[in-house]
Amino acid sequence: MKMKQKNTSSIIAIILVTITLVMVIAPFIWLIYSSLKTNKEFMASVWKLPAAPQWENFKKAWGGGSLGTYTINSLIVTAVSVFLTVIISTLAGYAMWIFKLKKWMNKIQLFLVITMTIPAYASLVPLVETLRAMSLLDTLTGVILPTVAFNTPMSIFIMRSTFFTLPFEVIEAARFDGASEPVIFTKIAVPLVRPAMFTTAIINMIWVWNDFLFPLVFINNPNLKTLPVGLKDFVGEHVTNYPVMMAAILIASMGAFVIYSIFQKQVIGGLTGGAVKG
Amino acid sequence: MATIQIQMKKKRVRRENQTALTYLAPALIFLIVFMVYPLIYSGILSFFKWTGVSAKVFIGFENFQRLFTDNYFWRALVNNISVAVSALIFQVFIALVIAFVLVRVMDKVSKVYLFIFLIPMVVSEICIGLLWGFIYNPYFGLINAALRGLGLESLAIGWLGESATAFPAVINAMNFTYLGLYVLLFVNSIQDVPEDIFDAAKIDGAGGIRTFFNVVIPVIRESIGSTMLLAVISSFKTFSLVFVLTNGGPNHRSEVLSTYLYKMGFNSFQMGYASTIGFVQMLLMALAGFIVLYSTSRKNKELA
Repeated sequence: MKMKQKNTSSIIAIILVTITLVMVIAPFIWLIYSSLKTNKEFMASVWKLPAAPQWENFKKAWGGGSLGTYTINSLIVTAVSVFLTVIISTLAGYAMWIFKLKKWMNKIQLFLVITMTIPAYASLVPLVETLRAMSLLDTLTGVILPTVAFNTPMSIFIMRSTFFTLPFEVIEAARFDGASEPVIFTKIAVPLVRPAMFTTAIINMIWVWNDFLFPLVFINNPNLKTLPVGLKDFVGEHVTNYPVMMAAILIASMGAFVIYSIFQKQVIGGLTGGAVKG
Repeated sequence: MATIQIQMKKKRVRRENQTALTYLAPALIFLIVFMVYPLIYSGILSFFKWTGVSAKVFIGFENFQRLFTDNYFWRALVNNISVAVSALIFQVFIALVIAFVLVRVMDKVSKVYLFIFLIPMVVSEICIGLLWGFIYNPYFGLINAALRGLGLESLAIGWLGESATAFPAVINAMNFTYLGLYVLLFVNSIQDVPEDIFDAAKIDGAGGIRTFFNVVIPVIRESIGSTMLLAVISSFKTFSLVFVLTNGGPNHRSEVLSTYLYKMGFNSFQMGYASTIGFVQMLLMALAGFIVLYSTSRKNKELA
């Protein structure tokens, strides 16, 4: 039984929460309708709705810069990073489950927890040097590999916690039947955790798509910039037409928002499971 | 007979360890190459003067000495601590209240609310930062337009350009951005509280506010603890919003460790000094983590 009868204090509480909610969403609503104004309208009043929606702004934003190139780069970086991270973390999560009785597994777990607290910027200088030594600086691969490394610990914990919900007898039965380790992993374990792999993939998609620091520091070539970095350049170059800038921001936020709207359950599961990522 | 069994067991253990390591190898290789090795390397670079292209010159503890007398470093560190304190009050605590209202007071519509609260978490921080930049804009920003509308023209200032308001303005943007994550985490933990605990509170005649303080907070205190820890860790990782909104300005007022390190390393090419900032920051985090782990493990022992 939940508290069904609404007394005064619950009504006040609901109103306060709703005000906070409006304050969280209002900037986005303002962004959306402002992006449809003419620059003149915007300068005249920042509040008013557009007289007629200027869809032109989106064409200008898309055609006026290199948002297309940035989007393709972001797609490549995201696709490859997510693919690698899901495979690596599924393998590791499986090992942590199957061999949970091994004492050294606790040390691996502690190691993973520690790596999660390392801020990406703390080792930025040596990372650049490492990438330069591998001739990966200013390449998309150079962005992808460290991104995978930094997203792996959280992803492993999402996979690991899912493996731990499975009955261990499944594996024992397969072993008893004489199935080899690789067969047990690919034919029995992986199908059972496919939903968690999907959750890991979706949350990594959002993390990588939005990632800013690594592409900012590792990429110099304007043709290799990813969307968040390119967007910042774009906005810096188009300071005269505000609604077009806002249209560009909207275009850049769209991808992650659409993924979130469709796969809300997975995003929420991923945010909960990998909460330490920040 | 026994020795053969022991030998067989040893052999099996070794084979199992090998299999386990094979599965863990890809993860460990990535983590060692791109996290552990750079961190150690950063410790080594802390003892060198280096522009990134010139030869590295060993200078002993000079970088550390400079760091401890560097006012901007201390201000950045204090600012990071302020971010953490503000996150605990305005993100974690408010999220706890909101989550309680969502789960216990308005159960039906709460899904829509949660969806909206999480939007800033899934949109890139660069978009959020640029958007807040517009909101704070002195000429056509939302805040100043509202102030002018209320006849408070004199209060309409360049929020991000003034040394008194720049950092609070950045912190305010952070609070709105990350609030949703903590709401989500607390919604999960309050939903896990068994219903009969709430029934018992009701029989005792506890109202909403008493239920919140005397039932919810004690029951989910572990989750509150880990969420607070998460908020503090995230506060020390913060970069993008500050970078886009103020880049640490004006005159380092809103500097945090990450933006300061970035400036030292990649704007003024003092790679050795930048490494020192990162390395000391890691040492401080490790120390803080050790204190937290130590105190919680002691508390657990006392409870047991």
